[in-house]
Amino acid sequence: MKRSLLLATGTLLTLSSTVVAQTNDTIKEPEQKLEEIVISGQYNPQSINKAINNVTILNRQRIENLGAVTLADALNQVMNISILPNAGSGRSTVKMFGLDAQYFTILIDNVPMISDEGFGNNTDLTQINLDDVEQIEIVEGAMGVDYGANAVTGIINIITKKNNVNDWNVNFFVQEETVGNEYDWKNKGKHTQGITMGHNINDNLYASLSYTHTDFKGWYNDREGFTYYGDEDKRGHEWLPKNQNNIKGFLNYHKNSYRVYYKFELFDERMKDYAKLFNINEDPVFETINPVANDRILNTKRWSNVLNTSGNLEDLFRFDLSFSYQKQERETDKYRYRIMYDEKYDRSSYKSESREVFFSRGTFSDFIKLETAKFQVGYEVAYTNGYSAMSEQLAENPQKKSLGSYDFYASSEINVLPRLMVRPGYRLMTSNTFNSQHALSLVLKYVLPGDYEIRGTIGTSPRLPNYEELYTYFVDVNHDLQGNENLNPEKGKTAFLNFKKTFALADNIEISNSLTGRYLEVSDKIDLIEVVNPEGLKYVYENTDLYRNIGVTFLSQLSWDAFDFGLGFTMSGVSQEMYKAPKGTDKFLYTPEVTANINYRLAKTGTNFSLYYKFNGEEERFKKGSDEFGEYYVKGKQESYSWLDFSVRQPFFKNMLYATVGVRNLFDIKDIRSSTSGATAHGGGATAIPIGYGTSFFIKLQYKLGF
Amino acid sequence: MTKYRVGKLVIALVALVFFSSCEKDSNNGNTDEREFIVAFDNPSIPYREIETTREIKLVFSDVAQEEGSVEIQIIPSKAIYDVDFSTLPKATGDKLIVPIAKGTKSSSFTFENLIFPYDRMDKTIQFNIVKINYAAKTPKIQGYNVMMISFDTSLGGIMTPNVGGPTQPNQVYVDLGGKAMYEVKRNSWDLAFDSSGEFRVRLNGSVYMAAGVIKGVNAIDDVREDNTIREMKNVVKIGTFDPANLAYIDDPSGDASKTAISAISDVDANNKVYLVNMGFDPGMDAVEPGSVLVTGKERGWKKVRILKREGGYLLQYADINDSTHKEVMIPKTPGFNFTFFSFNTNSIVQVEPSKTKWDLNFTVFTNKVDQAGDPKGSYGYSDFIVHNSYGGVKAYKVIIPAGDKNFYKAYNLQSVQESELSEDFTTIGGTWREVANAKVLYKNVFYVIKDAKGHYYKMRMLDFFNEKGDRGYPKFEYALLR
Repeated sequence: MKRSLLLATGTLLTLSSTVVAQTNDTIKEPEQKLEEIVISGQYNPQSINKAINNVTILNRQRIENLGAVTLADALNQVMNISILPNAGSGRSTVKMFGLDAQYFTILIDNVPMISDEGFGNNTDLTQINLDDVEQIEIVEGAMGVDYGANAVTGIINIITKKNNVNDWNVNFFVQEETVGNEYDWKNKGKHTQGITMGHNINDNLYASLSYTHTDFKGWYNDREGFTYYGDEDKRGHEWLPKNQNNIKGFLNYHKNSYRVYYKFELFDERMKDYAKLFNINEDPVFETINPVANDRILNTKRWSNVLNTSGNLEDLFRFDLSFSYQKQERETDKYRYRIMYDEKYDRSSYKSESREVFFSRGTFSDFIKLETAKFQVGYEVAYTNGYSAMSEQLAENPQKKSLGSYDFYASSEINVLPRLMVRPGYRLMTSNTFNSQHALSLVLKYVLPGDYEIRGTIGTSPRLPNYEELYTYFVDVNHDLQGNENLNPEKGKTAFLNFKKTFALADNIEISNSLTGRYLEVSDKIDLIEVVNPEGLKYVYENTDLYRNIGVTFLSQLSWDAFDFGLGFTMSGVSQEMYKAPKGTDKFLYTPEVTANINYRLAKTGTNFSLYYKFNGEEERFKKGSDEFGEYYVKGKQESYSWLDFSVRQPFFKNMLYATVGVRNLFDIKDIRSSTSGATAHGGGATAIPIGYGTSFFIKLQYKLGF
Repeated sequence: MTKYRVGKLVIALVALVFFSSCEKDSNNGNTDEREFIVAFDNPSIPYREIETTREIKLVFSDVAQEEGSVEIQIIPSKAIYDVDFSTLPKATGDKLIVPIAKGTKSSSFTFENLIFPYDRMDKTIQFNIVKINYAAKTPKIQGYNVMMISFDTSLGGIMTPNVGGPTQPNQVYVDLGGKAMYEVKRNSWDLAFDSSGEFRVRLNGSVYMAAGVIKGVNAIDDVREDNTIREMKNVVKIGTFDPANLAYIDDPSGDASKTAISAISDVDANNKVYLVNMGFDPGMDAVEPGSVLVTGKERGWKKVRILKREGGYLLQYADINDSTHKEVMIPKTPGFNFTFFSFNTNSIVQVEPSKTKWDLNFTVFTNKVDQAGDPKGSYGYSDFIVHNSYGGVKAYKVIIPAGDKNFYKAYNLQSVQESELSEDFTTIGGTWREVANAKVLYKNVFYVIKDAKGHYYKMRMLDFFNEKGDRGYPKFEYALLR
């Protein structure tokens, strides 16, 4: 009983609510290490070592230790993942196995999340608030059968909290952060406040409501904000300021095996893009200046509704159905601004982006009752409708498009031997735009004597071409850059082999080791190629490239009394076959990655100390250059960098109040030099890639009340 | 029970924090006050333009909130009040009082010339603003606080060439010395025939024309739309990003010897038939603020052959498949750089003012481009300024040293560096603005221009947008260097 209680309060999606509701007499939160439960890619929630996939979990404690407010804060320390912040657009996206966020799917409770530029993929991590999150699950490798297209490098599945032990619970927090060394109460730093209220209305009904406000005042660096009008290039911000409001609601009903829940979310972000350059507007008649800037405020709004129902229909089968309607809009509020006199004029606003998605996903299992095999069939339907203005520089008209996709999938878990489980799977993807696509997967799990776990996975997933690749049209007297409506989806394939073993060295020492080898391949990869034909130079998107990534990852986690040590190492190699590139440019280029973490809990005071470290090695890429002698290929380099975070967390008043103090980015990383990206129509050369805004500090006060 | 009290406290605290965390960005902008400055709208007026009377305008930097007056000192030289000239209102002594009316942004007085025809050309009358009586704010005297009426060349001022907005339909010729502008539709002409000793023909680069020799043809009527022509049509154009296509345009430097059409030979057999790409008319559609639409309808193709006749030119031209051609005699026009011809009107057209009557031309231009140092051939530029090299005008660019706020103001005749002066068309060109990304003026550049009469001017761009943010509204200031 005790054990199931702990399990339930820890991490459950489905089966635990009954237990919880009956035992609402304690406010103690478990902080002990539990057997972790995973959901991603499973028929039913499974403990991590029983799960068929190799899942990495970032639990609540880790989120708290990192002081992570958004998903962007939480992923910096994860092996094989790096975060790419874009100072210009204010977005932060995932890069995994050397591929960008278009190859990666982000889901919330198994439902893909709408974003600025995609549905599930290309998500802006700073727009995902972690306040109501129980844990983050990361699965590496193509998951096309389970999650459809664009799940090439892997998925992140964010599991939200679905219950609480108390009749009423109120959770309130304030977090104050410096942005690099910048902080003040009014115009600098990052200020976050949040409140969550939950109530068990009766034994079957639970409701919660939460609100989070994040006010990121931007990173000024050497800049001086929107009021500057001097002679130097100092106006605006290095990283754009944004103000986010997020409201989430949740209603859960369960009875016996049957459950239905409804979630809604409202997200509103106002990002201020104060032009760095402005016209000084000198008037020689009066010998005065009246500087004018073209500023804009980008307002992103997201509405999300999810209805989920699951249970057993009599004894016939088990079902799990999700229905979702999500909408995301971006409105650009453009105006001209007289900097000296604080006057806005010529104000106009327009929707630069609007997208809505109707989504439904259903799985049906247990309809054939066999001892040695389970079956699951499912469908996934997504209908996306909307438009998106492409790069403003190209003065594009918004492209209004709709995309319907209708997928069916089936898989089976077969216990071939008592310790050998095999899961083949297949998904058929049909859509109104592309030819039918197929995704396959084969998962193999074998537990050797001595509890050596071996997992082998082969998976495929296509990446669908994006709007820009399909529909760009930028042709004038000087340019010819055109999208290609005949593009095919890129084909992604991955193979993973993983060994895992946990040793108990002594009563109080446990070490678990994991070794993973991987192979990833994206063929028909889309590239913007130069076509030199009699009509001159043209740029066109084509399915031409082949991208391969291989790697070996070793992870080790040691727990000894109140200590937890983690160490990880990856060596990965990247090879690219580029359009018309000479032999030798498809060589594998290798990069190491190291992670380390230490966690210590002082039993007497309950103080928790944690340290997270990650080293990202130097990356090399071949890229195309050209000069008066023609085209050539050179090896570009991207600098290595290290990331170190440290925090202390202290509970007070019988765990009612928590204070967390932390330092992020102790190596003071701001940007790294890179010459790996190729030159395009207007630009080129070595550039500085923004990584962070230097060492910063945070303090979080969290008040938890349950009664 | 205490828990409930704590709960209330928490909610109160939350409310407090949320209310205090609203956005306040609109409240912490600059709060500079607009100053009240009175100035002349023009620092000099040519005496020769005033036969009888002329209204002299005073402008205010802000709307007058109450009544007031401006005291102006009159300093005549070789001229006497009430003999050579007079004013309205009348001056008392050397002082003229001009009223400031509440709610207005300008005022004026009238200058009367009393002797016409002029008796002498060396008289000048200078007006100095010496005092502003205005109680609402502390008024300031700065900017154009001195105005000169003289027979000398213009002292400068502000000019706004009417390029015509974002489709930039006009070429505007500017005469700095005479402070005058002449505009012409940029698609009103096609070929420019050299009126100097040379026999050269230039293309209208402002509509992105291009021309190439049709190989193996000697008679214009033999040309037909065959494979050769079809292939040529793919390359005889600008913006192909092929460095070799510079051969089909006149060199952007203005170098008279590097033209798409070779110098016209005395020997007819040496004068080839050219395929001429007529480029594009200005656009017609609506344009987003900040963008340009300088290319609209394609103007088609012509075949052209030019021969030397009677000290001038014989132009033969036709549409590609025509079996006959038109012939027009183009004489040289003395005193002008070129004689201009239009295929549309089949006639010689008036385009440029006479050679010495213009210094700058605001125009769309066929330039060349490179990409990170790598030449990419011809490339169309909007918002371009060409100086009249053929008429003897030269120019150079000055970069203001960082932080030196007084540099432009202090730049005078002694600062001029004769050796920097260049004839290259691209000297001013588009070097004063960035339009690829941000679309802004560079704050740290200005130009020195030497006109054909030997006068030096400093010139700087003030804007190329109108108040609404539309492109194609250039504005510049210039001043005679003394």
